[in-house]
Amino acid sequence: MPREGTGWAIVSYLIGGMLLYGGIGWLVGRWTHIEALTGVGIVLGIGLSLALIIFRFTRPSR
Amino acid sequence: MSDLSALTTASGCHFQSHPSCGYPAPTIEDFFFKPIFSIGGFQFTKPILLMLLSAAIVLAVFWMAFRKPKLVPRGIQNVGELGILAVRDQILRPQLGSKGDRYLPFLVSLFFFIWLMNLWELIPVAQFPATSKFAFPVGLTLVVWVTYMFIGMKHQGPIGYFKNMAVPPGAPWWILPLLSPIELLSNIIVRPFTLSIRLMANMLSGHLLLLVFSIASWYLFSATIGLLFAAVSFIVFLLVFVLEVLITLLQAFIFTTLTAFYISDALQPAH
Repeated sequence: MPREGTGWAIVSYLIGGMLLYGGIGWLVGRWTHIEALTGVGIVLGIGLSLALIIFRFTRPSR
Repeated sequence: MSDLSALTTASGCHFQSHPSCGYPAPTIEDFFFKPIFSIGGFQFTKPILLMLLSAAIVLAVFWMAFRKPKLVPRGIQNVGELGILAVRDQILRPQLGSKGDRYLPFLVSLFFFIWLMNLWELIPVAQFPATSKFAFPVGLTLVVWVTYMFIGMKHQGPIGYFKNMAVPPGAPWWILPLLSPIELLSNIIVRPFTLSIRLMANMLSGHLLLLVFSIASWYLFSATIGLLFAAVSFIVFLLVFVLEVLITLLQAFIFTTLTAFYISDALQPAH
């Protein structure tokens, strides 16, 4: 049974993923002058956060 | 300019009473107070006073309740036990189980301190939630952050804690370099950040809503069609007030529940 904090933990994973990969995308975009990389990074970050959430919360624990 | 509603009252500015009389909308200025007194560079303001009062009340109530505890509780001891049991059964036990009871004093103090700081929003004369000043949630969050980082390092070892945090169970090895940074960032930075922002933003917006509708009720109160609008505004004000009664409790509950959740995460490697 999911505990009460799970929902908020999921939100913080989503924010973390967006910040991290959006930030990396932004930096690379500044360097290469391709502005779209920020958006690409944010979307990639959400995707990876979702993968992380699935691994963390939907697989049976050890 | 600290108390805009008082200013409006004094100005006597009403709907259609004068061409230059506009609705004095509340601004972020309403969250900054003139110091009651200052010592050197330190300014003692109303939110600090409310914070100290909250701490004093929590201390006094629990001291009175358990000064001479009796087996069959009477009077204020009943209230104290009710409060402690509520935190234990609704917040601590679902997250930590009975082995987490050693953290009960911390969670009880945290819950009642935050609830009281929120509750000042609804009490006449005070009518300001101390927690809407960002420094207070940040201070509380720092205490929580240091606590759960320390517990994690103590129970899983300094390296083991970060290793368990960075490796989600069941994830294939090749994706780990992409996922571990998210996990670390979310646990170490995003968690405390959202914990403090959530409390501050909820109390700030609640206070702002109450200001908007109370000022509007007064501003629209005149011998025109404005009287009807004033009545509607006052009804909305009462509804928001009732909502805020719930929110003051809910925000204290969420803050404490998440603290218990983070502690339980630190006690045992990934669930």
